[in-house]
Amino acid sequence: MAALATFLVPVLLLCGPDPCPAAAHSQPEVKCVLFNEEYMNCTWGSRETLKANYSLYYWYRNTSNKVECKHYWQDQDIRVGCYFNQNEIIQFQPFHVLLKASMGGSTLEISKRMELQDLVKPDAPVNLTIHNMSNNQLQLTWATTYPKAKCLEHAVKYKSNKDTDWMEISVNGDVFSLPSVDYKKFYTFYVRSKVNKYCGRTQLWSEWSVPVVWGSNSTSKGTVHWLWIHTVLIPIASCLILLVLVILLVRMERVWVILMPRIPNPSKNFDELFITHNGNFQEWAGVPKDVVESFKPNYSENICYVSELPPKDSYEPLWESSNPPPSVMPSASPAPGEHSPYKNSYGRV
Amino acid sequence: MFHAFFRSTLPVLPLLLVLSPVNSSSCAMENKTTEIHVKYENILIHDINELVNISAQNRDRCCRNKNHKNIKVFFCNDTQEIESLQSMACNMLRFFHKQRISKAFRWKAAFVSCGTLQVLKCKCEGHRKEKVCPHVNVFGKEDTETGEQSRKKCNQEVCELKENISSLRSCWNKFEKIISR
Repeated sequence: MAALATFLVPVLLLCGPDPCPAAAHSQPEVKCVLFNEEYMNCTWGSRETLKANYSLYYWYRNTSNKVECKHYWQDQDIRVGCYFNQNEIIQFQPFHVLLKASMGGSTLEISKRMELQDLVKPDAPVNLTIHNMSNNQLQLTWATTYPKAKCLEHAVKYKSNKDTDWMEISVNGDVFSLPSVDYKKFYTFYVRSKVNKYCGRTQLWSEWSVPVVWGSNSTSKGTVHWLWIHTVLIPIASCLILLVLVILLVRMERVWVILMPRIPNPSKNFDELFITHNGNFQEWAGVPKDVVESFKPNYSENICYVSELPPKDSYEPLWESSNPPPSVMPSASPAPGEHSPYKNSYGRV
Repeated sequence: MFHAFFRSTLPVLPLLLVLSPVNSSSCAMENKTTEIHVKYENILIHDINELVNISAQNRDRCCRNKNHKNIKVFFCNDTQEIESLQSMACNMLRFFHKQRISKAFRWKAAFVSCGTLQVLKCKCEGHRKEKVCPHVNVFGKEDTETGEQSRKKCNQEVCELKENISSLRSCWNKFEKIISR
């Protein structure tokens, strides 16, 4: 434990309060983009990712001609990139950059070699124009601000208002033809450019151009009229009709009752039964008296006592001594007025 | 006095006639940029791209060491693109017999060099082109397809060849950009 502590203390002292640069610092990577061959930006990180303030040096041929960046991009006093104007850019020669920073007494160096013609990003095409050709054919043309238009390849992206996905087509020249179009549809076109494989090996496409549209678009009068009807007139008319119907329903009870019949409440129908006739159902129901009387029993049954006769010459029954003899006796006849359907049926049988 | 003047100046003229062709290009397609453009776009560019892909597959970690960084770099000089391409193509033919480079790699490099020299109609010093290109043009594809594809260890010659290929490709891009107006 003591040995471990003696080993750790010098390490911690050397590192200091800040984390060790070798352990915590991730090496930044220089990325350069040459915009339309007019200017170039090289960046190597952001304020959050950079742990040191780097200086950038660049050269094309001899290592003795290293030049420091003249226009740094800064993010709160931390250098994050370098701007190169057109005079500082030479294509088709190896371009070397060196990032240098001093941190914690040590010097950090990151070098990279690039071919600038492989890092060109052209500007988006401009002046997109649609021409109506014969046989329902459309022709799309455009222009570019890139100095070498012949070195560009293009991509056209289009769809109609009835389509869900975009169609993307590669084009080598600066003309795109769409063979057959539907005049009832509304088409939108975009174009972008890239340096072709003959003039470089860049993978950077330009941004998509400003779109151009063709077809029955929203600026025509008929479409505006139809749109106004759909979005304004029909909803308002619907609301008004609904309002009138609601008012009619509230005011005309006959209509209301037909549409919303009352839920029947049977409790009032039985008021007479409970109040007038005191719950006498037959009286309330209007059952004739003779029918009521017929339900009353007009006979009476005598109780038939059943008992077991003792044997003649045998033993004396045990129960004579103390216990009263158990007697099997039928139950008492029901009092008049009590109805016992089962017993009545037995009596009748 | 006049005899002395003519005696001293007369030998200078033949000397000028002998020295002047040294600085002129040995390529015959200087002003035929359209023809070069067509052949480059339709034929040569595909072989160059294949060669670049093969070059990328070869190990180059040792090329970043200081020992291997002192490699001769060919520059594509402004207004002298054809001469620069000639110089690069002729230099690349040197690697055809280097056994430390994989066979497929050096054969493809020689194939592209010969194609460049053929398109530009250039010659090389020491008749290097006449020694290598007939063999490569006849057996080029067969040997690269059936030959051994073993990956050689990174070495100085591989680094030099990779640098040469990169320079040749860039110079062709530059030349194409100039002539495509």
